[in-house]
Amino acid sequence: MDSRADIWPCILAMVPVFILGIAIVGWGHDVAYVMHGCLIAAVVGWGLVWLIGRLTDPPRSIPFAYNDEISKWGIMATFVWGVIGFTVGDILAWQLAIPELNGDTYFSNFGRIRPVHTTAVIFGFAGNALIATSLYVVQRTSRARLAAEHVPWVVLVGYNLFCVLAITGYPFGITQSKEYAEPEWYADLILLVAWVGYLWLYLATLARRAEPHIYVSNWYYLSFIIVIAMLHTVNNLAVPISISEPKSYPLFAGVQDAMTQWWYGHNAVGFLLTAGFLGIMYYFMPKSVGRPIFSYRLSILGFWGITFLYLWAGSHHLHYTALPDWVQYLGMSMSIILLVPSWGSVLNGILTLNGAWDKVRTDPAVRFMMVAVLFYGLTTFEGSFMAIRPVNTLSHYTDWTVGHVHAGALGWVAFMTFGAMYKMVPWIWRRGSTYSLRLEAWHFWLALSGSLIYVGAMWNSGITQSLMWQTYDETGAFVFAFIDTVDAMRPYYFARAIGGLLFLIGGCIGAFNIYKTVNGPALVQPVPPRNGPLSLPAE
Amino acid sequence: MKGRLDKYTNTPTTGHEWDGIEELDTPVPWGFRLALKLAILIAATQWVLYPAWPYVVSYTSGMTGYSSRAAVAAAVKDGRSLRDQAFAVFVTPDLEELASKPGIREKFEPVIGALYRDNCSACHGRDLKGQANFPNLTDDHWLWSGELDEIEYTLQVGINSNHEDTRYAEMPAFGRDEILLKPEITDVVEYVLSISGQEHDLSAADRGAEIFAENCSGCHNDGGAGGYAFGAPSLIDSEWIYGGDRKAILATLNNGRAGIMPAWSERLNAAEIRMLTLYVQWAGSDDQGD
Repeated sequence: MDSRADIWPCILAMVPVFILGIAIVGWGHDVAYVMHGCLIAAVVGWGLVWLIGRLTDPPRSIPFAYNDEISKWGIMATFVWGVIGFTVGDILAWQLAIPELNGDTYFSNFGRIRPVHTTAVIFGFAGNALIATSLYVVQRTSRARLAAEHVPWVVLVGYNLFCVLAITGYPFGITQSKEYAEPEWYADLILLVAWVGYLWLYLATLARRAEPHIYVSNWYYLSFIIVIAMLHTVNNLAVPISISEPKSYPLFAGVQDAMTQWWYGHNAVGFLLTAGFLGIMYYFMPKSVGRPIFSYRLSILGFWGITFLYLWAGSHHLHYTALPDWVQYLGMSMSIILLVPSWGSVLNGILTLNGAWDKVRTDPAVRFMMVAVLFYGLTTFEGSFMAIRPVNTLSHYTDWTVGHVHAGALGWVAFMTFGAMYKMVPWIWRRGSTYSLRLEAWHFWLALSGSLIYVGAMWNSGITQSLMWQTYDETGAFVFAFIDTVDAMRPYYFARAIGGLLFLIGGCIGAFNIYKTVNGPALVQPVPPRNGPLSLPAE
Repeated sequence: MKGRLDKYTNTPTTGHEWDGIEELDTPVPWGFRLALKLAILIAATQWVLYPAWPYVVSYTSGMTGYSSRAAVAAAVKDGRSLRDQAFAVFVTPDLEELASKPGIREKFEPVIGALYRDNCSACHGRDLKGQANFPNLTDDHWLWSGELDEIEYTLQVGINSNHEDTRYAEMPAFGRDEILLKPEITDVVEYVLSISGQEHDLSAADRGAEIFAENCSGCHNDGGAGGYAFGAPSLIDSEWIYGGDRKAILATLNNGRAGIMPAWSERLNAAEIRMLTLYVQWAGSDDQGD
């Protein structure tokens, strides 16, 4: 097979993006917007030059090995975005505790840098971890090299270009004000191109697999890719006001827009941060401990339960709003059932450790993954609980929600990422182990104490807030003014900032450990894979 | 493919293997099956009782006939009637009479404090002492008089607000709108410094006195004593809303001022406005120092 087969499709996809970048530079008014145009044109233009150079090269044979270069870069992107995202997150936590720290400029205030934090951790950190692990896992569990040589780079670079455009736009006010979908239309279009490439790459690689069955991790990864494609497209349907401005208006308005937004928001959590990470769990957990998956049947029930139910549940974010009651109740009922397949996955993950529980003690990476699964259980229980309308009257609009999200994001997503990375990095770079198991253990305990302090603080502050808001005297008047409840949050906000700091320190130690591992000595005798990869589709 | 028997769990595997990963053929645990059935039962019960499933033109409304709109409307109505009852004491009597009623402060001050902090403290401060650009409510310096009726009226219609009966007070932009010349303005600044007992240039202040008499005394009164008729502040004391030093006075004269107080009758009811009126008076009476 010619290694150049996918160059023309890549060029065809990139040329419109390049033209978009040039058009923004030419017509744009706003400084940040024009800078974005330059960035798009530079990155895509550089990519086009590289691809065209490859076209004229003599054809080379595709190596008879897995393509791991892409995952290596994905891993590095994961840690870079992770450290950025955790740092900005902790700065925000300190701003909430000490408002004077907002710097008193328009670009450093809470509202503008909060999306920098969420985008850096959700898309930058978690998204790159998913791309890196999914492309690693799909090759091994399919015994097939990636289906194309250039598409993976378009996917990874395009995706990270989207992240950079998003994050550098917010401080200058470039946002469509949709939570977790803040980037404006031009960044969304770039993500769409990258994502279609990702979907094609994943499907094509699966199609040339040498295994008779598709492994469960790949079901999850594929569902994540498909659903994110669907959510991203529908929620970002918008009309740009002009090529000269970054601003656009969404197609939907009012409660329809709110429902579309939370259908998106909830399933971004459900598929990017849940299904994708279950994909990681189903490969890295059994692989690390050398034990079979606890139950194939539970995998199936868990997968279809989660895939079917999540898509109904978004409306529980809009309880007691203008959203019609039937939508609220339907979302609530599906959220309740959703707990069962979620806990099925917890059970399947935890019981996979049967026969290898000693590894939780001896291997910090396994400990990371085990605790991640426990946090997943905690968070999914909490989520279903908070989706019940009367409970929601207590939790909604409070810090409890923030605590819930972080139990999932820190405890589940980040722990699973760290656990998988500590395994994958030595495997992929062929190192004996990570640079330091001690540092790995330090990272674990810092991350765990940080997460627990964070989540505990937010439970306290959320419930305190809510109870204070709902305290009336016998005349039916408020006992506390809103500002009194803000005052009462002070100790919790300090605790949260300290918890976040511990987590950040842990993350930096992790990044350092990974850096030293990558720069450390390789194994003298590379271990050949037990089942060789295929550069050709299985006959 | 036939699986092997996993020795540790004594369970057969499914026989598939991916990159060394196998799967056990463990049956679905009974707890999981039971939980799934229970969860579906709970959801189905809810579908029967509450609005849930859409169909072409409407949706199943459920046996309870629940509607959040109706529930909110009922709760709001209940709350309103409860508060109407509890606060009826504020509506009927004359304000002076109300202020002298024994026990009213002890009973209602905490509740009114929450009302004040929710609606007023963002500008006037939690201690009612104001802040830069927003007047202190605890001293004895008033723009529109400190009489209870007048305070109540200010609360109702606001100042420079969008209420049709709003109190209206605007300090013209003497510099920007070229009503006075630059040297005239600096002279007036010196004059204002002089009447407020600050360091000033004597001859400039003398010239400024004349200009002040012609241009400013209509609102601020002769000698700058201020007046309730136009909501013009006294310029002869040490209390300032927008600052009393040379630079601040110059800025005020150049660009004018038109501070806004919202009209609260559009947001609060009559009893609540009266409660806040008393609250302002109480704060003033506690603070006799000025």
